[in-house]
Amino acid sequence: MTEFNAEAGGRLKGVTIVKPIVYGNIARSFGKKREEDGHTHQWKVYLKPYYNEDMSIYVKKVHFKLHESYANPNRIVVKPPYEITETGWGEFEVVIKIYFNDQSERPVTCYHILKLFQSPVVDGELTSSSTTMDTKKGLVSESYEEIVFQEPTQIMQHYLMLSEQSANGLLNHDTDFEEKKSKTLDNIVNVKQKVKSEIVTLKDKLKLARETIVKFKAELAKVQKPPA
Amino acid sequence: MSADVRDILDIERANTPEITRDSFLATKKRNFERTKHASRRPEGMHREVFALLYTDKKDAPPLLPTDTALGIGAGYKQNKARLGMKKVRKWEWAPFSNPARNDAAVFHHWKRVSDDSTDYPFAKFNKQLEIPSYTMTEYNAHLRNNIQHWSKVQTDHLFDLARRFDLRFIVMADRWNRQQHGTKTVEELKERYYEVIALLAKAKNQSIEKKTFVYDAEHERRRKEQLEKLFKRTTQQVEEEQMLINEMKKIEARKKERERKTQDLQKLISQADQQNEHAANTPSTRKYEKKLHKKKVHHTPRPSKVDSVVNAIEIGSSGIKFADLRGSGVSLRSQKMKLPANIGQRKVKALEQAIQEFKVDPAPPPTEDICTSFNELRSDMVLLCELRTALSTCIYEMESLKHQYEAACPGKTLNIPPSLVPIKTETLENSAT
Repeated sequence: MTEFNAEAGGRLKGVTIVKPIVYGNIARSFGKKREEDGHTHQWKVYLKPYYNEDMSIYVKKVHFKLHESYANPNRIVVKPPYEITETGWGEFEVVIKIYFNDQSERPVTCYHILKLFQSPVVDGELTSSSTTMDTKKGLVSESYEEIVFQEPTQIMQHYLMLSEQSANGLLNHDTDFEEKKSKTLDNIVNVKQKVKSEIVTLKDKLKLARETIVKFKAELAKVQKPPA
Repeated sequence: MSADVRDILDIERANTPEITRDSFLATKKRNFERTKHASRRPEGMHREVFALLYTDKKDAPPLLPTDTALGIGAGYKQNKARLGMKKVRKWEWAPFSNPARNDAAVFHHWKRVSDDSTDYPFAKFNKQLEIPSYTMTEYNAHLRNNIQHWSKVQTDHLFDLARRFDLRFIVMADRWNRQQHGTKTVEELKERYYEVIALLAKAKNQSIEKKTFVYDAEHERRRKEQLEKLFKRTTQQVEEEQMLINEMKKIEARKKERERKTQDLQKLISQADQQNEHAANTPSTRKYEKKLHKKKVHHTPRPSKVDSVVNAIEIGSSGIKFADLRGSGVSLRSQKMKLPANIGQRKVKALEQAIQEFKVDPAPPPTEDICTSFNELRSDMVLLCELRTALSTCIYEMESLKHQYEAACPGKTLNIPPSLVPIKTETLENSAT
């Protein structure tokens, strides 16, 4: 435990606390266009902790900003579950702003594209948020994120610790992020290897090409000289 | 009043007042009364005065007194000055003695008979200062030795004057007996006086009760000297001083501006340095093409400009420098993966293509490990893209040299190393996708 340092604005030097979260939406089609307003889907946009903990210990409120065509698009949720249920017909970007219990920690903002329609799966394509189709729940599109508290204030650290203590195992998510994480990391490492090897060969080729250019130039100079 | 207006405007007065519901209901009796009163203007009464008394409807006159008859500001309304209702008190020519005088002189002044107090009312203003005195022994013990060489006679004279003029040192200096005691300035008098007072107080152990004053004669002398000098300046000197002050202000202003400019310049330099770093690490393809173009025009064999690119690449400084999100505060991990703003559009495009080519999630779940390796990967990808372009330009140059050679001596040709030939098409394909 680091000492409390008043000079750094009451921030704990060298301390970093990470809170993984998941945000996204589920959507279910009505199956037809609703007559009165043309809405086709019911959806729920949400923000939840990755681990099963009480986020309200450190989160003051969550501000969901919907599309302006909604009546009062600025929805504020002060206690879990942080979610908004609505109906609609279109996809748009939802701005999710998280405010913390310590006012001196600035709020953070996530952006989520509300997904209603399953996009055609291109072979091997990976989208930013994991979209899965669940027969029971409907369409799920959610992203993993980590809130990083660098040198939190003492009171904030206290809140975060309390929240940690309240944690009780993993929350059930529609997306297996652990699998996704390890897969992604493996993929990145693999690709990195590939890229690196290609860089090496390219460097060699480039070297050869340059040498050839020098040689060609010398040849050309030899041929061009006599007539001059 | 409206009658007045009608008079002035020469409008015929309506015989019957306008009938409203109210006036009609106000019974005819009133009308009757009014006619009975026959408010005819008495002879000799001015029209205006009469109009004040009687208006058409006999309501209150339009002019109202603004102040009450008995009010404070009612002076002009009272026909008689309200003088004191009491009887006049008597005054008498009475003798009095001033306690400030010790010669028992008796003067006279006017005084109310009723005033019983016999004290002279101004006596209280006669403040007496307590000037300490000293005995011969005290003088010998404490006061004899002093730096300014005051004799006992002089000191006595000083204290006598102090008593006589209540410590008004300016007057004391004026009345100082110069013939007997030599010339003394105000400062010298003050200095000696306060010195004696302090010494006496110390000797009598009064320092606790009474405040002792320390008189800094030297400081006072210098102060007066300065004032004297200031006062005696000539107009020329005053002007010169003003001029110098103005000059100084100008110089200071210029100095400040210069400092500001150097600061700006330093900022610019450091910015440029940073940019140069980036530029040196990853020379833009456009620049590179321009150079190539120039070379093609001149057709002179020169050391290839690719060298610089390759050198930069070989040093390993190519790639992306991601923002270091150090410092305190909350942030989202995914911010770490954001491309820095100074990366060109072209590079971003190439990177996107590379990411697609290698089938990498463009926004992977941002754990710390993934962020780090993803950033490293993209940095490598940028390098890869640059190498590819560099190679393709090299091959292009090679081809053009080959054609030149073939043109220069027909029948002969130059052999491009076979390992470079098939790659060319592949890279072109890749960069075309």
